[in-house]
Amino acid sequence: MEQVQEEKSTNMAFSKVITSRLGGKTITLCYQCGTCASSCPVAKITPRFNPREVIKLSLLGAEKEVLSGDSIWLCCSCYNCQERCPQKVEIADVIYALRNIAFKKGYSPNIYLEFASALLNNGRIVKISQFVENKRPTLGLPPLKPTGVEALRKILSATGFDKLRLKEESQ
Amino acid sequence: MDRVKVGVFLADSGKQLSKILDYNDLTNYVKNISGVVYVARGSEFWRGQGLQNIINAIKDEKINRVVVGGTLPKLSEVKIAQAVENVGFNPYLMEFIDLKDHCAMPHQETPSEATEKAKAMLLAAIERAKLLEPLEKLEFPVLKSVLVIGGGIAGMQTSVDLADLGFEVNLVEKAPFLGGLAARAGRFFPTDDCAICIQSPASDLKTITYTSRKCVYRSGFSEIPNLSILTSSKVVAIEGVPGKYKVTIEKKPRYVNEECIRCDLCTTVCPVEIPDEYNAKLKTRKAIYMNIPNVHPPIYVIDDSVCKFHDCAKCVEVCPTNAIALDQKTEHITLNVGSIVVATGFEEFDSSVIKEYHYDDYSDVITNLEFARILDGFGPTGGQIIRPSDHKLAKKIVMIQCVGSRDRRYNSYCSSICCMISLKHATLIKSTYPDIDVTICYIDLRTTGREHERYYERAREMGIKFVKGRPTEIYRDLETNKLIVDVEDALLQRFLELEADLVVLAPAMVPAKGTKELAEMLGIELEEDGFFKEYNAKLRPTETKMKGIYLCGGATFPKDAPTTSLHAHSAALKVMKLLTTGKIIKYQRTAVVNEEYCGDCEFCPVTCPYGAISLVPTTENHFVAQVSDLLCEGCGICVGTCPLNAIELRHSTTNQMLAQMKALLSINGTPKPLVLAICCSECGHTVVDSSGMAKMQYPANVRVMKVPCTGILQIHQFLEAFKAGAHGVMVVGCKSDGCHYEVGIKKAEKKVKLAKVLLKEYGIEPERLEMFNMVFIEGNKFAEAARMMTDKLEKLGPLQLMASSQVEEVT
Amino acid sequence: MTSYALFLGCTIPARQPNYELSARKTLGKLGIELVDLDNMTCCAPPPVQSINFETSLAIAAYNICLAEEADLNLVTLCSGCFESLAMTNSMLKDDEELKAKINKILSQAGKEFQGDKEVKHFLQVLMDDVGLERLKQNVSKPLNNLKIAAFYGCHALRPSELLKLDDPERPRILESLIEALGAESVEYRNKLKCCGGLLRGYSDDLALNLAREKLENTSKAGADCIATLCPFCFVALDIGQIQVRAKFNKSYDIPILHYSELLAFALGIDPKELALEIHKIKTDKILSKIF
Repeated sequence: MEQVQEEKSTNMAFSKVITSRLGGKTITLCYQCGTCASSCPVAKITPRFNPREVIKLSLLGAEKEVLSGDSIWLCCSCYNCQERCPQKVEIADVIYALRNIAFKKGYSPNIYLEFASALLNNGRIVKISQFVENKRPTLGLPPLKPTGVEALRKILSATGFDKLRLKEESQ
Repeated sequence: MDRVKVGVFLADSGKQLSKILDYNDLTNYVKNISGVVYVARGSEFWRGQGLQNIINAIKDEKINRVVVGGTLPKLSEVKIAQAVENVGFNPYLMEFIDLKDHCAMPHQETPSEATEKAKAMLLAAIERAKLLEPLEKLEFPVLKSVLVIGGGIAGMQTSVDLADLGFEVNLVEKAPFLGGLAARAGRFFPTDDCAICIQSPASDLKTITYTSRKCVYRSGFSEIPNLSILTSSKVVAIEGVPGKYKVTIEKKPRYVNEECIRCDLCTTVCPVEIPDEYNAKLKTRKAIYMNIPNVHPPIYVIDDSVCKFHDCAKCVEVCPTNAIALDQKTEHITLNVGSIVVATGFEEFDSSVIKEYHYDDYSDVITNLEFARILDGFGPTGGQIIRPSDHKLAKKIVMIQCVGSRDRRYNSYCSSICCMISLKHATLIKSTYPDIDVTICYIDLRTTGREHERYYERAREMGIKFVKGRPTEIYRDLETNKLIVDVEDALLQRFLELEADLVVLAPAMVPAKGTKELAEMLGIELEEDGFFKEYNAKLRPTETKMKGIYLCGGATFPKDAPTTSLHAHSAALKVMKLLTTGKIIKYQRTAVVNEEYCGDCEFCPVTCPYGAISLVPTTENHFVAQVSDLLCEGCGICVGTCPLNAIELRHSTTNQMLAQMKALLSINGTPKPLVLAICCSECGHTVVDSSGMAKMQYPANVRVMKVPCTGILQIHQFLEAFKAGAHGVMVVGCKSDGCHYEVGIKKAEKKVKLAKVLLKEYGIEPERLEMFNMVFIEGNKFAEAARMMTDKLEKLGPLQLMASSQVEEVT
Repeated sequence: MTSYALFLGCTIPARQPNYELSARKTLGKLGIELVDLDNMTCCAPPPVQSINFETSLAIAAYNICLAEEADLNLVTLCSGCFESLAMTNSMLKDDEELKAKINKILSQAGKEFQGDKEVKHFLQVLMDDVGLERLKQNVSKPLNNLKIAAFYGCHALRPSELLKLDDPERPRILESLIEALGAESVEYRNKLKCCGGLLRGYSDDLALNLAREKLENTSKAGADCIATLCPFCFVALDIGQIQVRAKFNKSYDIPILHYSELLAFALGIDPKELALEIHKIKTDKILSKIF
């Protein structure tokens, strides 16, 4: 709790960081009714994640706690909370925004680094192996059309996505 | 026309102002202005010797125009006007300027500049006075009768008040019985006594004691001689003007007349049985029915959507007093009234749209109003708390607050009374059935009124449980037929699955059906939330911007009984103020259309906030605009809107404004560039007063001109100002959402924006024209703005035409 | 002949040829042409969105551009792809500023999002372009009142404001499509609740917990099998069922079948052509109930 208090006095800016991010605009509408919490399949089975608490902590400015913890990575993106929220807070999108901020700061589960890598290399996060591709005709499937890896790489470069990953590597 | 003879009266406030302004210089200057025939100097002119001086000058026919330069013009204006009217002089032939707060005080550090500015101010006042015309005093008849739309407790109470005061009251209610929500609610908080009671009429001479309240059925209110009650009636058309409305009422047939003795024999033989909506379909009723025994009128009614009429007529056969008249037809009744009161109230939001709560398909999920029927001894269950699904006693009840309230998907406001309603229901349950388990799920509990906190405390003492959490879903356990409420208790940080026999929802309170149509018919506005718009939330909550039309009760926003009662009395008082003299008297300070110029473009009727302008046909199959002197509020927004200069506002004509402008800018006397500040008569001019009252300092090159509303301004007038010698123009008005004339300031803002573009085309820097929004208490802001504007203009240099390519982009 | 550009995504060609086969064959039989376009990529599902939202929007928009250029509407099989693409389509259509921002990124790849095409789920194509009546007429092997638990998953329905597939609280499309095949759609507890699919690989214990709840509820309701729309749901409940069996020591033996596979059976397509060997929970008992 002390940590939260200390950050509260210096970190009202955290709300601004979130609201200026794509997906995070609506976070300040939250009035802590708890509908999202009881709609959340994950919150029901573990105390490690509760969408209402994540929002509360974020609005209080507990930046480090929210970004460095594993809580925000436990959301299963089912969007039930966003569907039911009476204030139209885009809760699932806020979690994405928090993940974006966390990733940029170097906090993320390893598996996401693997996804990023696969995307850069193959244009897909799940690689389609040559073996599987070769099997298609025997199953009666038409051959796979080429993947637009080049176009994808240009997009990833334009958004700075490729540099996000590099930053991680240098750590 | 008579020669114009201007008298100028210079007040020096006990020689205080002459310490700063050179009054000798001013007197000499004024004497030499053409048209000025009389100049007097004194301490003050709004009372005593000073006032007598003016009166005498008028009586002796020395002068026919009055200019007073003194202090507190807004006060002295009223006093002097009253005095001159008494000697037959038209009060609109006078002009007042503030030499203290607009001149001496803000410029006391530069007294010689202040004196030069005072000269310009006096010149402007004199030139304007020369162009003033007398205004006619108009009288409009007002019928001493009222239409009250809505027979709930608000409508009933206001009707009683007005009928008691001697006005003819027509109370119109669309249902067959009076009472509205109160009749169904059972009891009201915080007193927990009956909902359906009112303050009895003063004319109830049978009771000797001065009782605080009376049940509606025995209050005798319906017997007040000048109160006429029309049930099953609704308003279908309204014509006319304030003071003389013609209203058409459609009265549906009741099919039962006053001979009815409520013996109930008819219901025993009626073959038609349908679910009783009034009682939340918890029981059935017949085609012929009465809702609850204690209502008004105490006459049964037939539901003609299900009655078989002459194919059956069994009720007619058994009725012992022949009270049933199956051949009654719909009537159209015309009422002539002087004013209208809207008391249409509110109703419960339809909770079925929140599908996860299953209000539509689980019969044991009900609303507060439906639960009130269950609790009511007169209700479908005789006060027993049973479940609609299987009629078993409910042992566990869960209440859910904010269903559709504080919900940006439906109604984002808080409905204000539902927390107390649910607490009321919970405490009523517990006081009779202490063993029933009651839990209230809430987001925030709002118990703000008198006695309300104690109510909440009592609820906790009675063992009512509270869960801070909004449930996500209600589902039904198919095996046990019980309801489960899925909610997070945010305080415990625990997930709960609350078992319930009955779930009571507290739905939002929304405007009654037909609100939108009625608003259109009356020409009054609705707020964003759909309720009727109060003229001013702080000072005039029972009025609308349309004279003659008033609001009362829950029609403006959900409210509890004490507030509704207050509101009803307030509305009655307002109606009385209008109706009491039988006439509306006003000076013709209104807009007038030059029919030759009018191009029938329809801009002004649409723009006028008061609906004062209509289009009338002329002979050549062409329409012209016409202004109603009764409805016109003298803002001049129409003048600012007309593209053809076909409409003028009396007492603020474009010629008068131009003369003032030129005069104010004809003398500088300072080394700084002249700035013209055009201020609206409401916030704009008063903020200048305020800066002077607080002795804020700003330079004397800033010249202030008053207009009724900034909405009167046309773009060419900004250009005229520059032509007349202004190097900069400030337009000072109310805050964007606080215009005293509804839309004027927004119109002015748009014009300033457009004018800036035009200025650029003319090679003038757009920053020379700026818009300012202020309120009275921001005097410091005005002084700062005046200083900033002056500084900016000094940096820009004198006004000169430049090639437009050299001017910066307008932001 | 109605044509759609087929968006396959990654998971289906990589791991679920059964979904692709049944979808191609059934739509072919129902007169819908599927066009395979060059240069499609990943749809940018939640894992990419979690790293950078703008990037995922740009990638999704890029794929929609390919369809726009081919003057075709898009159809997806995977609900995850549907959510990503349809959500992007809606968001960019409604927000001029966002569209401009994304187009600036797309210009680097030589593309420009117009917003003149639709993104549809396989289910929507069946409902809108085939219709229940024509579907029923084409059923040559009604499913003999097989008890099917309809499982939409999350991303076919939500966020409903952007996806607009069906009523998010009371959806009917899948149930009516199941009934059109001559099967019975059984109701069960928490039907619309997430299967935990996206937690697999990161938090397997939570994922299995949710999978188990789904299996428990469908089993209690007497379902013979579960009909899915999404390859993640499929994996969570199919391979997941094996893992649940190992962890919780309970065997449910409820086969998981994509709706397209059930549709294929009902349209008379030979099960041997549908790569059913992919299923970890064997489908034999379902086949014997039908044939």
